[in-house]
This record gives sequence, structure tokens and C-alpha cells, in this order.
Amino acid sequence: MAVSARTRKSARLQRLEAAINYPIDWLEERSGLVGGLRYFLFRKVPGDSNWFHTLGSATLTAFLVQATTGVILAMYYKPEPKTAYASIQHITNDVTLGWLVRGMHKWGASVFIILLFFHMARVFLFGAYKYPRELNWIVGVLLLVMGMAEGFTGYLLPWDQTSYWATVVGINLNGTVPFLGPYIAQFLRGGAEIGPDTLARFYSIHMLLIPGAIFALIGLHLYLVVRLGVSSPPWSKEAAGADWVEEQVTTNGRSGLTQPAARSSWRRNGGDAE
Amino acid sequence: MSAIDERRSQFKKYKEDVKDRGKPFYPYAMFHDTVMSLVVVGVIVGLASVWFYTSGENPDTCGGKDSCLLGPRYSEPADPGTTNFVPRPDWYFYFLFYLLRIFKWPDSVILGTVGIPTILLIIAFALPFLDIRSERRLSRRPVAVVAAILVVISMGELTYKGAVAKEALASEVVAAVPQWAQREGFANDPKAVAGANVFAEGGCTSCHTYLGTGGGNLGAPDLSAEGSKGKGVQGLESYVADPSKFGNTVMPKFGAFASIPAKDAQGKDLGISQLRVLAIFLDASKGPK
Repeated sequence: MAVSARTRKSARLQRLEAAINYPIDWLEERSGLVGGLRYFLFRKVPGDSNWFHTLGSATLTAFLVQATTGVILAMYYKPEPKTAYASIQHITNDVTLGWLVRGMHKWGASVFIILLFFHMARVFLFGAYKYPRELNWIVGVLLLVMGMAEGFTGYLLPWDQTSYWATVVGINLNGTVPFLGPYIAQFLRGGAEIGPDTLARFYSIHMLLIPGAIFALIGLHLYLVVRLGVSSPPWSKEAAGADWVEEQVTTNGRSGLTQPAARSSWRRNGGDAE
Repeated sequence: MSAIDERRSQFKKYKEDVKDRGKPFYPYAMFHDTVMSLVVVGVIVGLASVWFYTSGENPDTCGGKDSCLLGPRYSEPADPGTTNFVPRPDWYFYFLFYLLRIFKWPDSVILGTVGIPTILLIIAFALPFLDIRSERRLSRRPVAVVAAILVVISMGELTYKGAVAKEALASEVVAAVPQWAQREGFANDPKAVAGANVFAEGGCTSCHTYLGTGGGNLGAPDLSAEGSKGKGVQGLESYVADPSKFGNTVMPKFGAFASIPAKDAQGKDLGISQLRVLAIFLDASKGPK
């Protein structure tokens, strides 16, 4: 009785498993995405990676907050000089939780920029921009420039005195670039004066052009992170790929767990067994 | 072994080390990432809430308090006609904003607007090619450590100074006008005095300085002796109306003043525009006697 019940159950389980696996296999056969995700999730990172390594994903989270709240704001915001200010007031004071969405977008921008700088400082201090990760550093600097450009173009959108006059001067400062300056200023203004065309232009750059570029650059950034791996902290006694680890072991005459061979076999058998 | 071969073998060793004694991204690193991301979202929600509940519904108000903890919800609606407003960027541009107090129009302002930012950007992009040693330990990278400390201190200092930069309040500036007239010697010229009032109330001192009063922002020069440069009333008038015609692309246009009639201290119409009295005032400013 008991045995046959177990067999029946296991047959049912098998059918259930097959039913769950079918769409996954279907997707995998046609796209390879499942394998890609599995690779991404179960790839090895250095054993000594720590909280400092979370600054990059924290920056990504701040960006995703900006993207999400930005999409919601775009549903209520009206990029016309006559209506922009009123729509910002409407979002902040009338729309359900509108204050939270606008507040998160406004303050998320600052958090995003701060995290960009912290992440950059971490990479600098870890020497993580060195061979073979030079290209990823350059992509990161580009992302920083894009983030600052988002700040500049987004600042105008509330169309209040603060944003208007800061942008007047900001565009004028762009105009001091030798030779190209007047053309840059003209392009940003969309004419000789700041007006409806400027606002529409800043809105389009702020919510389409630069975010698109940022998404693409983040994709490239993450691809390179996964391909090249992250650097161990330089002070780590077991830093991956560091020639100073053996040096230390031999000069200090340490033995046992700190010796690479012994430690790695311990790790394989114990802590991180898959 | 050449330098590049050495680096290649080092990276090969890195890959092997990670494979041998690394930990899988999920769940170890991902746990840290998730906790940190939740903290980030929490901080953003917290800032948004504090900002909203310490500010008022009306422009520039703080729900009964003098100053909002995290700023007002918005200022007054944009008005190209008013000039009494200090142009102030978001905080992460303060270091550039304050840099322009150090450089002056027209000689060196380009260093602040283009020169230094461009150099910083080029260094940032070129960093991996300037620092090609494979050494990563801080104790053996003294140049990098000193450079990092200097960058953090100077950016922090400029950002802080930009944040606390004193702004010239229109009421304080207007109170200084009789003293200006005395020291510059135009007290007997009602048009020049009227122009000084336009200068004080119009927000010119947000950027310019005059006998020690004013912001000195954005590279704007001191105007205490502007009249001694021989531009003439006519020249000054057309300059202020549209500085870009004279190659000054930083200063905004103030042509709107041409359509506002000027009044003297008693409120009597002077029969000329505010732009005109402003030019007369600047022309009468030959420097303190």
C-alpha cells in the first residue's frame, strides 16, 4: 500500500516537474537565456569580496528607482512652459502618493550621484581599473558624465525660478567653449532664447536620449564585470590572483589554513560546497 | 617576461584562484547586494518623506518654519522678466559653481567653465593608461593615495564653499545705495541714484560685486569702476541689453529693463527707461573717491 502510494506520488511529481520544466526548456532551447542566467547567478566571485563590492549594484538600484519613478512622473508631467509648473504642483500636492514619486525621483538623483562617486572611489582605491579592466573604467566614467547630464537636464523641468535661472546660466556657461560654444548653447536652447522649445528638448534628452544611453552602457558595464570578474580587496591575505599572497606566506613562514593549497581544499570540502 | 605577459599570467592566476576558492555569486554576494539595495531604497524614501513633510504647499514655504530641512517643494514659477534671483545649480555642480568665483570674466573665466573640467575629465578617462603598474596595494601606491586625498579635499572644499556661499539680499544691497552714491560721488545725480537702485533691486549683485557688496558668482567682475573704462552710457546700455553681442555668453540678457520706466526716490517718473538709468549709474561709477 505504502509503496504503491509513494510510486503514484512520485509519478505525479514527475509529471508536475515535467510541466514546470517544459516552458523553461522551451525557452532555453530557443534562446540560451536560462543557461545565461544560471551562469550569471552561480559564477564564482573571489571569496574575500565584501560590502565594498555592493556599491555598484547599489548605484544600479538607485538608477532603477529613477527609471521607475521617472516613468510614473511622465504620465502626469506636461512639458510646456504654461503647464509644467502647474503639473509639478498637481503631482506633489494632489495625485495619490505623487509626492512620494516626485520626492523619490528628486532625492534619488542625489543618492545616485553620491553612489556613483563612492563606487568610483572604491574602484580607484582597490586598483580595480587596472589590466584587464581598463575599458570598464572608461564605461564607468561615461556613466558618471551621463548621470551629471541627467542632473543638468532634469533640473529645468519643474520650470520654477530656481530651475529656470540655473539653466539660463548653465547654458551660457556651455557657450564659453571655444569655437563650438555658441553652437552647443544654440542646440541646448533650441533657439536664441530659453522657451517652450528648450523645455521640450530638455525633457526629451532627459527621459529618452540619456536614459537609453545609460541602459546600454550599464549593459556593457555588467557584461564586462561578469566576463572579467571583480577584484579582491588589495589588503586581503587571500586576494585572488595576487602575487603577494605567496610572498606573505613564505616570508612569514605561516602554515596550515593560510597556505593556499591547504585553504583551497578546505574551502572545496567545507564552506562553499556546491 | 615582458610587462604585458606578466599581467596576463597574473590575470590567468586570478581566474584560477576564483575558480578554486571563490564563492558562488548566488547566494553569497547577492545577499549583500540585496541588503544594500534595500538600504538605498529606504534612504531615498526617507529623504522624500522628510522633504515633503517639512515643506509647505506654497512656493518657497516650509509649513510655518523659517527654512525647510531639505528645501521647499518648488520656488515661484519661472519668470524670465524678473532678475532678482540667484542662479544656483543642484549640489553636485557646486564645485563648478564655486570654481567660477575664483576665475573672472573675461580673462580667465574659460579656465573655470571649460579648462579645469575638461582636464579633470581627460585624467579620469585616461587613468588606466596613466597608472599602468599592476600594483594594487595602497601602501605601495603613494602617488595614487595622495592624488585621491587631494581630489576629495578640493572637491569637498569647493562643494562646501558653494553650499555656504553668502548671497547678497536685495534689502541689504538697497540699504547700501546712499553710501555708494557718497563714495562714488554721484549723489547729486538723481538718474544715477535711480540706476543704483535698479542695480540693487534687479539682482545684479547676485553675480557682480560693487564696493564690496555682492556675490562674485560665475566669474562676474566688480563694477565699482566700470564707468572709467570709456564704454559710455550708450555702450553700457546696449551691453546690458544683450551681452552676447559683445562676446559675453555667460551673462543673461537684460533687455527687458528697456520697457520699464524709471522712477526717482520720490516716485517721480524720470521719463527714461530703467535700462537707461542703469547705464547712467554704471557710467557714473568711476571708482571710489
